[in-house]
Amino acid sequence: MTKSVVALQSSYRVSEPDLIARVVAGDRIAARELYDAHASRVFRLAFRLTGDADLAREFTQDTFVRAFSQLSRFRGDAALSTWLHRITVTVVANAMRKVKRFRERETDLEDVHPISSEGAGVDPVLRERLHRAIDALPEIYRTTVIMHDIEGYTHTEIAEVLGVAEGTCKSRLSQARAQLRATLADLAPEFES
Amino acid sequence: MTDDRFDELMRDAAQTYHRPPDAPLDEMWDIVERTAWNAASATAAARTSRWSLRSPGWAIAATLIVGIGLGRASMIFNRTSPTLPTAQAPSPVNTVASVRTDSSTAEPYEAETSKYLGQTAALLIALPSEVRGGRADDQFVARAGELLTRTRLLLDSPAAADPSMRSLLDDLELVLAQVVRLQNNHTSRTELDLINRALEQRDVIPRLRTAVADNSAN
Repeated sequence: MTKSVVALQSSYRVSEPDLIARVVAGDRIAARELYDAHASRVFRLAFRLTGDADLAREFTQDTFVRAFSQLSRFRGDAALSTWLHRITVTVVANAMRKVKRFRERETDLEDVHPISSEGAGVDPVLRERLHRAIDALPEIYRTTVIMHDIEGYTHTEIAEVLGVAEGTCKSRLSQARAQLRATLADLAPEFES
Repeated sequence: MTDDRFDELMRDAAQTYHRPPDAPLDEMWDIVERTAWNAASATAAARTSRWSLRSPGWAIAATLIVGIGLGRASMIFNRTSPTLPTAQAPSPVNTVASVRTDSSTAEPYEAETSKYLGQTAALLIALPSEVRGGRADDQFVARAGELLTRTRLLLDSPAAADPSMRSLLDDLELVLAQVVRLQNNHTSRTELDLINRALEQRDVIPRLRTAVADNSAN
């Protein structure tokens, strides 16, 4: 973080609407402050959705490029974080369709990424199978599972970000979990319902 | 019990599935600032030069954004903009004949598109010599990142209305995204091979050269 931002933050706190107004008026320090407040979460979401640090970085940049260029049109109907995460999900979804075209050629050339050893209580085979099963979910289910079960968003937040009804969000999560259970059934028969 | 075990597995996934590294905030901000933020300010702009345009990248991005604005305005009012964007002096090379759209709305984009194509061609031609040991110079990768963002801005603009231009921009977006990935430590010879293969299979360099040459002829 730049010294100027640190100085600004230590001297006083401004509300987010004020910060947005300052950014729209051309205040670069306010822009950096807004970025600092949200970039980590945006990057985190982008990384969870892509599993690739370079892509997550690129999509986070794209998110803020678009957000700053459209900030004057942000009406505050939803929280700024919701608006930013909506842009993130859109940017990731659009770009990943193109990335997948490349990945199809790469898959047989790349090594399989090792699974983290953290969470030693879980069978590593089961864990890896679950990760692959999440990867293989249809996009709308995968996004919902990642946001809810992995990143801890509420149904209300996910519904706002994805622009769907809360009931739709709950239904998608239920469908997604059912698919995951079915995929894991041969390894853990009790998941079969 | 079944639910408990599945919930346990999902809790584990929250810790292990695509576990994010620390966000490179300063690196990302550099790119954001160089492109969207400064470009957006240049739209307003041209009103006040509150921030100095220290690097050519700023002016180029500003020109692009102003060009897009002018193009959209000209679409709305259905008339041709009489002047080129003013944030930067027009290039001596003004058109891209091979990919130019027939619409008058394309005019504000031509100078910027031309510059963009020339710079992208230069970067891709320099790629083999710039990448040593499977790793590209940081500045080179940053330049590719800027060009990638400009590619996306152009893809969202009327400059991409022409199918051949859109196709070229789509391919360049993919290739530049691959170049940006070269910065990472896990980059291998394979990454470079994939880029070269993409360049060959899609005929990217010849198409770029043709576009730039046609452009010069006009």
